[in-house]
Amino acid sequence: MGESMTEKIAILSNVNMNFVIRGLKNQVDVFETEGYGNELGTLLNPRSSYHAFAPRFLFLLMDLMQLLDGVADDREAEEKIELWFTTLSDGLGEEICYVSDAYLWSAEEQGESGQSHGAVDTATELWLTKKNAWENLWQKRLETFVEKHPNARIFSYKKIVEQLGEEKAFSALTWRMGKIPHSSVMQKALAEEILHRVDVETRVPKKVLLLDLDNTLWGGLAGEHESTPIVLGGEGQGAAYLKMQEIILDMQKQGVVLGIVSKNNVQDAMEVIEKHPEMILRAEHFSAKKINWNLKSENILEIAGELNLGLDSFVFFDDNPAERALVQEMLPQVTVPEFPEAPEDLPRAMTAIYRAYFEKPYVTREDAERTRQYVENAKRLELQQSAVNFESYLKDLEIVAERVDAKDHMERLLQLVNKTNQFNLTTVRYTAEELQELVSDDAHKVYVYRVKDKFGDNGIVAVLIVKLQGQEAIIEEFTMSCRVMGRNIEHAIMDAVEQELRRSGINTLKGSYIPTSKNAPVAELYPALGFECCGSIPCRDGHIYRRDITDGLQRVDHVAWKGEQV
Amino acid sequence: MRDKIIALIEEVLGLPEGIITPETTMDEVEEWDSLAHVMLIGMLEERFGISIPLDEAVEITSVKEILEYAGE
Repeated sequence: MGESMTEKIAILSNVNMNFVIRGLKNQVDVFETEGYGNELGTLLNPRSSYHAFAPRFLFLLMDLMQLLDGVADDREAEEKIELWFTTLSDGLGEEICYVSDAYLWSAEEQGESGQSHGAVDTATELWLTKKNAWENLWQKRLETFVEKHPNARIFSYKKIVEQLGEEKAFSALTWRMGKIPHSSVMQKALAEEILHRVDVETRVPKKVLLLDLDNTLWGGLAGEHESTPIVLGGEGQGAAYLKMQEIILDMQKQGVVLGIVSKNNVQDAMEVIEKHPEMILRAEHFSAKKINWNLKSENILEIAGELNLGLDSFVFFDDNPAERALVQEMLPQVTVPEFPEAPEDLPRAMTAIYRAYFEKPYVTREDAERTRQYVENAKRLELQQSAVNFESYLKDLEIVAERVDAKDHMERLLQLVNKTNQFNLTTVRYTAEELQELVSDDAHKVYVYRVKDKFGDNGIVAVLIVKLQGQEAIIEEFTMSCRVMGRNIEHAIMDAVEQELRRSGINTLKGSYIPTSKNAPVAELYPALGFECCGSIPCRDGHIYRRDITDGLQRVDHVAWKGEQV
Repeated sequence: MRDKIIALIEEVLGLPEGIITPETTMDEVEEWDSLAHVMLIGMLEERFGISIPLDEAVEITSVKEILEYAGE
């Protein structure tokens, strides 16, 4: 969380949040609101001090009861909610915008605790019906809103209230005294969640969770079940291991890549993984398995090589303190969290690991399919090792590329241009709004490619953004996922782009390379693609390249095209 | 209880230990503004179950008066 002090955030609300804001002041650069209840006016007024402050993150923590003050029925409530969100859409800029989901609370009404006197009285029942209906109206509209705006997210307000319980979360006293509905513990929880979201939005998440097996994924020792039976499922500790496996599976579905690094006889371990009736994590969930008696640090280095990922992408979870210390000593870039003393704490510990290292602001389809892609990559690697030479390896891969419409893949596009570091010629980053403009701008062409091969679908992996200037075209962005690097796919893509540009009367193509600490692999890309160096960008140590594309050069590749190339 | 209440006041106002005494009044401490005051009254109820009626709570201007409500 060390970086968050430099982030600018704003909290707008229709109730008094000033004490939360005051508490956050020494941890983030937070906007000082003028009162509360004018959140939309603040956003819509271009001359408001909010816009002068220009926060990167906006938190709209709305009190639904206040918003619907004076509303008579559900229809009126729906209209008011609709109006609020429509107005917000108009006022929303480029800032990442979190909008709270709803928990309807009223100082005058009794919520869940009203039922304690045996029979539920009619007033309570009416209140609960209304609470349910209005919260649902808000939730539905909020979900539509978030779907439509790539920079909008849901702030889990309701969950925080429910975890504390309504009685503890709200205070009728401070509400009446100063329009502060939240108790001090609730305010503290809100502040923590706000800081956590900022952290999640700004950090680079870890990618791989490496797991030990015995007494980590299950209790007991595989292969010695006569003396130490496997503890998994059922009650007590067994339930805790099971619950943790469920959490790990959820993480895997969110794009976390799993690996095993364990000292076992491989047959013993696989027998549990494949045959134990209670196991939730099975062989197919792990993208890498190192079950042997080698040093764990060496196994981790091998996995890093196989997955083509830096060591700083790995988190290593092991019950044995000596193994943890050794890995930490040998591979200081690997994150090694503590292991809880009691197995009962494993689910909580794993959730904490997820929040601390892996959680992302949102999950794309590519994230959800990551494990499959890494498993397929491992098979490609096998083929590469068995193929006689590189050429025949590429041929054997049966690569098929397809150009897709950028407009259909805006979220992935945003991720590719902003998250790719290695195969990125200029490392120009774009906001969602800038990309929206680019894809519909006549002076720009955005080329987006999907790549498949005989092992599976790599998804959307390459983006090229070109600016047209008379008979010249300038490559402003050329980015490709590191998953498909080293297969000459860039040759095929450049051929296709040039062919299309030629058809629209372009005769010169220019591009530049601006070095960063990560993009050395593409330093010689333009010369390799037949471009000539024609200038430099001294202040950034970069080079400018150009090529006359009228010659119709055909580069060597082994890519077949699906549909129209361009 | 007296020390606990004084510690709570320091916590709400974001002050280091030892600044607030039983003789401190609201106008002596810059941090003790109306917003902090509301939070203070709320936390007395939340933490220690000390309920001060609303109309009286807004009249309070000193640590001494708070301690009186707590029966100190």
